[in-house]
Amino acid sequence: MRDLTLPQNSTVANLMQRIPGVAIMLIICILGFALLSPDFLSMRNIANVGVQSAILLMISLPMTLVIMTEGIDMSIGAVLTFCGVVAAYVLGQTHNLPIAIVIAVGVGLVIGLMNGAIIVYANMPPFVVTLGTLGICQSLALILTDGQSLTDVGDSIGLAYNGHLLGIPLPIYFALISYLVSYVLLYHTRFGTYVCAIGGNRDALKLAGVRVNLHHVAVYAFSGVMAGVASILLTARMSAGHPTAAIGMEFDAIAAVIVGGTSFEKGNGWLFGTFLGVLTVGVLRNGLNLVGVQSSVQVASIGLLVLVALLLDSLKSKA
Amino acid sequence: MSNLIEELKNSSQLKNLFFRLLVVLIICIALSFLTEAFFTTNNLLNVLRQASLLFLLASGLTLVVLTAGIDLSVGANLGMSACLAALVMTNTGSTLLGFMAGIGCGTLIGFGNGLLVTALRLPSFIATYGMLWILHGITYYFMGGTTLGGFDKSFRFIGTGYLYGIPVPIYIMTIFIIAGSIFTKYSIYGQQVYAVGANPVSARLSGVPVNRRLMLVYVLSGLTAGLASLVFLARLNSAEGDIGETLTLPAIAAVLIGGTSLFGGVGSILGTLIGALILTLVLNGMNILTINGNYQALVTGVIIILSVFLDLFFRKKSNT
Amino acid sequence: MKNHHIVFATAFSLALASTQAIADGEKIAIFTKNQTNPYFQAFRLGSDSAAKQMNASTIHYVPTKPDSIPEQLGEIDDVVVKKPNGIVLIPVDYKAIVPGVKKINDAGIPVVNATDRAESGNFVNWVGADDYSTALAAGQALVKALGGKGNVVIIEGVRGVIGNTNRINGFKKAIEEAPGIKLLASQPGNYQRLQALQVMENLIQTYPKIDGVMAANDAMAGGVIEALEGSNRKSLIVGINGSKEAVEAIKAGKMLASGDAAPFLQGCFSTMSILRSIRNMPVPKEIIFPPMLVEKSTLANYDIAPEKQTCPAWNTIVK
Repeated sequence: MRDLTLPQNSTVANLMQRIPGVAIMLIICILGFALLSPDFLSMRNIANVGVQSAILLMISLPMTLVIMTEGIDMSIGAVLTFCGVVAAYVLGQTHNLPIAIVIAVGVGLVIGLMNGAIIVYANMPPFVVTLGTLGICQSLALILTDGQSLTDVGDSIGLAYNGHLLGIPLPIYFALISYLVSYVLLYHTRFGTYVCAIGGNRDALKLAGVRVNLHHVAVYAFSGVMAGVASILLTARMSAGHPTAAIGMEFDAIAAVIVGGTSFEKGNGWLFGTFLGVLTVGVLRNGLNLVGVQSSVQVASIGLLVLVALLLDSLKSKA
Repeated sequence: MSNLIEELKNSSQLKNLFFRLLVVLIICIALSFLTEAFFTTNNLLNVLRQASLLFLLASGLTLVVLTAGIDLSVGANLGMSACLAALVMTNTGSTLLGFMAGIGCGTLIGFGNGLLVTALRLPSFIATYGMLWILHGITYYFMGGTTLGGFDKSFRFIGTGYLYGIPVPIYIMTIFIIAGSIFTKYSIYGQQVYAVGANPVSARLSGVPVNRRLMLVYVLSGLTAGLASLVFLARLNSAEGDIGETLTLPAIAAVLIGGTSLFGGVGSILGTLIGALILTLVLNGMNILTINGNYQALVTGVIIILSVFLDLFFRKKSNT
Repeated sequence: MKNHHIVFATAFSLALASTQAIADGEKIAIFTKNQTNPYFQAFRLGSDSAAKQMNASTIHYVPTKPDSIPEQLGEIDDVVVKKPNGIVLIPVDYKAIVPGVKKINDAGIPVVNATDRAESGNFVNWVGADDYSTALAAGQALVKALGGKGNVVIIEGVRGVIGNTNRINGFKKAIEEAPGIKLLASQPGNYQRLQALQVMENLIQTYPKIDGVMAANDAMAGGVIEALEGSNRKSLIVGINGSKEAVEAIKAGKMLASGDAAPFLQGCFSTMSILRSIRNMPVPKEIIFPPMLVEKSTLANYDIAPEKQTCPAWNTIVK
């Protein structure tokens, strides 16, 4: 007979060491909900989670880069909302989807550039500047809509959220492409290398003759552009532009990024970690809804999840 | 004594505060031009009283930010502490117990945050963010949609009372400004807090008990939130599940506008006071000038950016 | 002979069992806008009471971020997977909810629309009152109490939330109807007690004479009361929600009236409607509760905590 007892300690512990806390939480959530709810693992539900998480992923990816430069973008939720409103407005005026997309993304780019320029050239703290931009975008959205939803968006935009290609919902393609673009930007371009360095070694970069400032501004511009693209998905989802649609989403994005392992201090970042973080939050919300957990408990669970994920990481580094 | 005065005069920190104060003055002058309702004793006292609540909440938070950390749970802390204090006072009729409940709850939450950051080594953003959601969840669960209210006159004095014609919260604020400034500038604890923020490694090497100081700042942040919750309760005479949610961001903004850096090691309690004043003045101005609700976020956002910009600008000018 | 009996008995008990299965144990998903507004709390209590009376059960879906449109849409996605027997839907935004309603319709789940009329979709019926007419009634009460003359301010709720827009419009109509009434200012209190208090304090500094205040909800009215008492000023105040706190304030003479849109009853009758529809009983196309005013003269009806109330019988309201 073969000895089937494996040296339990080393293999399992080894595995646990190498898997980041967020991945463990994700696995626990998936297993738990699969047991508690028969619908959880259905194709339809999995597609739902993917689609619901797409928008959050699209803004969490650039947030990863921003945090890696020791910055933060508090305005991204408001920019997302405002661009969505702009897209709906343009659709209502022109009934032309490509133009609406271009303008929405353009608006996001402009705001991102503005953020970046003020932060970098006026040397101001990113939290404060983007907090200011948050307020500005919030107001602009309210002014453009006068507090109402803009629903004259036509039928074609809805496809971005509800359409399928080869059986897979379109938002998942959006999310995948965003991930690939971010991945290539961060790990395969000079820009990406600079992003890592701006966080830790700005002076070394300057000495090496790199146009640090331009790259630094570009990080915020990237944030704005992604918000613009994500806004198309948001407007498609509601078939409307609404002035408060994504307010507050920046906190979810920041949490997903940090839970995924990127940290403010060390300037190191893990894009895949952000993806896991977004997925975990999405799975948790979805699972809690399927199980029918009361809303106040849901709120507390999200907090617990965030804490436990990082706790696991911190315990592992001690072990 | 004269040494102290000399030191104060030359202190660059004081110079920086001066410039921030200048920003406040500019806003006041502008408002006085725009409307005659602004520059009256009543309104100025009104602004000071409103600012004192925000300041109290942000005062402990300043210490946390000085250590390069952040406490996102202060608003939720205020909410939960206020609700607990309200529950206790409604059920026992005792103001004293209510006081203890509010401050105790706030301090305990601060202690919890401190544990998460020091013992469990979680980044403060996540630790306090997680705590925020948990506190909200618990508060909603117990409060539901109910409102508790109707407290004792003696309790309400700290929020609505007057002493020699000046509202009580302003006195409380003044006490905290003095105590806080002495703590940060002249006590060994305060110096160590700055050191931890500036460079935790060298602080530890020079013998600073880093973890104990970190724990201290989170506990103090929670304590001031608990105290603010009592002033809040006294002012508003009621508590419900969602109070405090909207106060976290303004508290953080007050600290940052006041010149305390998220990177730690730089900042002051007086700076936070100025930040709180600026935010309160903006709201006051917008209401008096009846600025359309749609535009109010924009005005606030622009003024936040301008204030910090002007402050940096003045500082640069004075240093060249 | 015996066989016949057995067959008959089996058939009978099967029939009984199946009617039992149809008439009992239905799961109804109730969608409300947020956790903390006492209006929705009362609605949920009403729906629970009705379900209990009719031997069914409710599951509540409330966004963890108050009034979050994307979250509500996400909850609909999740609920459609779970397939409850019926849905009662209060949309966060009556326009942005449309794609969500379509999903529910496509899934074949019967749904009742409550409180805010969705812009389109297939509903079993509509149960509600009207923010506009409730505010109008409250406003008119204030105007009447002022004798048609005086200075008035409005304390608004949150911009971008449709219920708020309707309430402000209702208030403004009441003011329009009385040429002797002057609207001094309309400022947002964001449905927050503290902010309403501070806004009122600021307005008191500006205007030496404010005769009346129209607050978009009772919590803000509470803040206004405190502000006035703190400055030794007097004004007549009306709010909206008909909450327990408003009842106390009206009793004590601190508040004039509060507009009540009968949330508890709306909860009762929307749940009764969906259950009746599932059980193939007749249901009217609309159940509209006329705006009611909580004031000194009607206090007796309101002085019961929602937790202790039970739903009245169907035929007391529906003839």
